[in-house]
Amino acid sequence: MTSHSKVRIDLVALFAACTLFLSTIEYMIPKPVPFMRLGLANLPLILSLGIFKNREYFLLLVLKVLGQGLISGTIFSYIILFSLAGSLSSAILMFLTYKLFKDKVSRVGISLTGALGSTITQLIVSRIILFKEATYVIAPLFLISGLITSIILGLFASEFTTKSIWYAQLKEQAV
Amino acid sequence: MKKVTPVDIIIFIIFLSICIISFTLYTNVSGKPEVHVTIDDKEWVYDLSEDTTASFTGPIGDTTIEISNNRVHVHSSDCKNQICVTSGWIDEPGEWISCLPNDVFILIKGQQQIAQKEETDDISF
Repeated sequence: MTSHSKVRIDLVALFAACTLFLSTIEYMIPKPVPFMRLGLANLPLILSLGIFKNREYFLLLVLKVLGQGLISGTIFSYIILFSLAGSLSSAILMFLTYKLFKDKVSRVGISLTGALGSTITQLIVSRIILFKEATYVIAPLFLISGLITSIILGLFASEFTTKSIWYAQLKEQAV
Repeated sequence: MKKVTPVDIIIFIIFLSICIISFTLYTNVSGKPEVHVTIDDKEWVYDLSEDTTASFTGPIGDTTIEISNNRVHVHSSDCKNQICVTSGWIDEPGEWISCLPNDVFILIKGQQQIAQKEETDDISF
């Protein structure tokens, strides 16, 4: 195994630290419904597509889930199921979207898929374990807020990927 | 990388349509009253405005419900204490009849007609 195929642990750690930081920021912002989220912590995942290898990407995903659980203090409660299911499905969907369309899809599209995946999965989880029938009532609110925040996040990510010199360097390294 | 691509727009449209579908789901729940009969984890749904009778087989026998004039009751049941039959007619969303021995649960779901139900409070008036 050459050094090139190894996981660039320092880079993953940097992105994971970003996730932790953004989770903290998100945790501080008051929300009308506890499970509604801005998805700020999704940003490093969105950005890492295209510069990370597959295994690095999924390592970042695991760190994100653990980090979020740690920050919000829900790591040993059932609420982690929401975060786990949401993160997993959104990350896998974003990954597949990127692999399928490559440069045909922008960060906005990736962000939208991620939000869609995570929202729907969380609704299904909440339908099963928490709200039962009442899930129908909160579904539109969840979906609309996810739509809006993910577009803003995606626009920011696409700005970042085109403007940042640091990001461009990382992308060159990846190729 | 271009800013917004056709694929983005397709994803956006899918997302938006799911949002809209979720709204129609919401209005369906709060639409016209439906009679939900749950027995053994299975559920039957009847329109409260359609007159009908239906029979369900539970662990100890048959339970027959009757819907007429926008209300529903248990017409007959094979259970011993007949509480479900003596519960009488129900017609408001949120009301229910249960037959525990035969594991039958009847619930009316739909929009609560709050405006009609609200009566002036004597004290506050």
